[in-house]
Amino acid sequence: MIISTEETKKGLTYNIMEALKQQLKEQIIEALNLQDTKPSDIDDNAPLFGEGLGLDSIDSLELMVLLERNYKIKVEDPREGRKILQSVQSMAEFIQSKQVA
Amino acid sequence: MLNKCYIQATSAISPQHTFEGEFHTQPFVASTRNLLNVIEPNYSGFISPNNLRRMSRLLKIGQTAALKCLVGSEFPVPGAIITGTGKGSLHDTEKFLKNIREYEETALNPTPFIQSTYNAVNGLIALQQKCTSYNNTFVHRGFSFESALQDTLMQLQEGVESVLVGSFEEMSEEHFYIKGRIGHWKEGATNETFLADNQTTGSIAGEGSAYFLVTAKPASRNLAVIEGVEMVYKPTTEQLGNRLQKFLAQHGNPTIDVLLTGENGDANFAHYYQYLHQQFSPSTTIIPFKQLCGEYDTASSFATWLATEILVHQSLPLSLQAYNTASLQNVQHVLIYNNFMGEQHSFILLSK
Repeated sequence: MIISTEETKKGLTYNIMEALKQQLKEQIIEALNLQDTKPSDIDDNAPLFGEGLGLDSIDSLELMVLLERNYKIKVEDPREGRKILQSVQSMAEFIQSKQVA
Repeated sequence: MLNKCYIQATSAISPQHTFEGEFHTQPFVASTRNLLNVIEPNYSGFISPNNLRRMSRLLKIGQTAALKCLVGSEFPVPGAIITGTGKGSLHDTEKFLKNIREYEETALNPTPFIQSTYNAVNGLIALQQKCTSYNNTFVHRGFSFESALQDTLMQLQEGVESVLVGSFEEMSEEHFYIKGRIGHWKEGATNETFLADNQTTGSIAGEGSAYFLVTAKPASRNLAVIEGVEMVYKPTTEQLGNRLQKFLAQHGNPTIDVLLTGENGDANFAHYYQYLHQQFSPSTTIIPFKQLCGEYDTASSFATWLATEILVHQSLPLSLQAYNTASLQNVQHVLIYNNFMGEQHSFILLSK
C-alpha cells in the first residue's frame, strides 16, 4: 500500500492534535486540582462548564492563566474565551490555530 | 456597658483533639519542634468535593469549624457572621506573592488571590448557609478575636437575634521560619506540658480555629455566658491591674473560680502574668492554656472555647490535669487573660 504525502501530513497533524489534547487534559487536572479525575475521564467534546466537568467562572480564569503560562496565548476578549473554553477539543484547536499563525 | 450573650454551640479545630470525639478525656498532644499544627478533620462531610479541590488549608479549617458550630443548631442561618484573624490565609498569600515574582506580575492565578483576602472564610460560610445579613472580619493582630467579640455584643444589643462569632489562624512553614529568625520561638527542645515554666525567651507557634453561636437571650442550650470583653493596649503592669479591677467591678466583682492565662513561656512578657497572679486569691485556680494551642494572634478564641468546656463539664480536661489535680467544684466564673507579644492585652469573662 502506498501512502501519499497528503495522507502522511494528515496523519502527523492528527497525532500532534491528539498529543496536544492529552497534554491539555493533564494540565487542566493539575491546574484545577481535579482529584480522582484521569485524562481518560475527560471526553474531548464534553462541555467543560455546567455539565461535563462542572467547572465554574473561577475555573475559567484559571484556564485563561493556563493558556497564557503554558502556550503564551493571551485571550483578550471574554466573548472569545467562552467559545475557546467550551471543550478540550475547542481549546486544542484554538492553541493549534495560534501556533500555526 | 454592653449586654452579655449566651453561647448555644461551639466548635474548635486545634492542635488538640477538640473537633471529633470527647476532648475532655483525650490526652495532651505535644509538639517536638516548637510548632503546634492543628489536627485536621475529615472535611468531606462539611464541604463538597468540587469546592474542596480549590480551597486552601485555612479555608477548609475555618469553614469546617464554622459549619460544625451551626449544624444541628437552633440558628443554622445566624443573624450575623463575625470573625477575627491576625493574618488570614498565609499559604495563599505566599503562593500569590511567589507567582507575582515568578511570572513577573503576569498570568497570576485568581484562586490564591481571592483566598488570601481576610474575609474569604466569612464569604464561604455565608454562601454555604445562604446568610445575607451582616458579615465582618476583624484583622487587628492580637485584638482580632476580641474585636469580633465586641462587635458581636454590639450587634446583639442592637437587636440581632443570633451571631456566629469565631476566628481562624494558620502557621505556614515560611512564616514559622521568618518569625523564628526574629526570636519569636524557642530554640531546641521545650517542655510543652509546663510551657509557662520555661522562662527563656520565645514561645511555641500555634494555629487554630474556634467558633461560637451566641444569642442575645437564653435559648435551648445556654452552654455558658460571655459576660464581657476588655482590651488594653500596651499597658504597664499597674495600668493592667487597674483595668482588671475596673472590668471586674463592672460585672459585679464576681469570684473568679478559674483564671485561664496566655502564659507562653516567653520571659519577655512573664512579668504581666506574675503581676496578675498577685491580684487573685489562692482560691482561684490559675491555669495557662498556650501549651495546648501554641502562640498566635487569635489564641484567646481557643481559651474562650476551653473556658466553655470547663463551665459545661465543671472540671478540667485530662490534658490540663498535669497543672492542677485539685478537683474543681461549682465553677461559676472563668476569666481569660491573654496578651499578644506584650502589646495587645485582653480579658474575657465567662460564667455558667
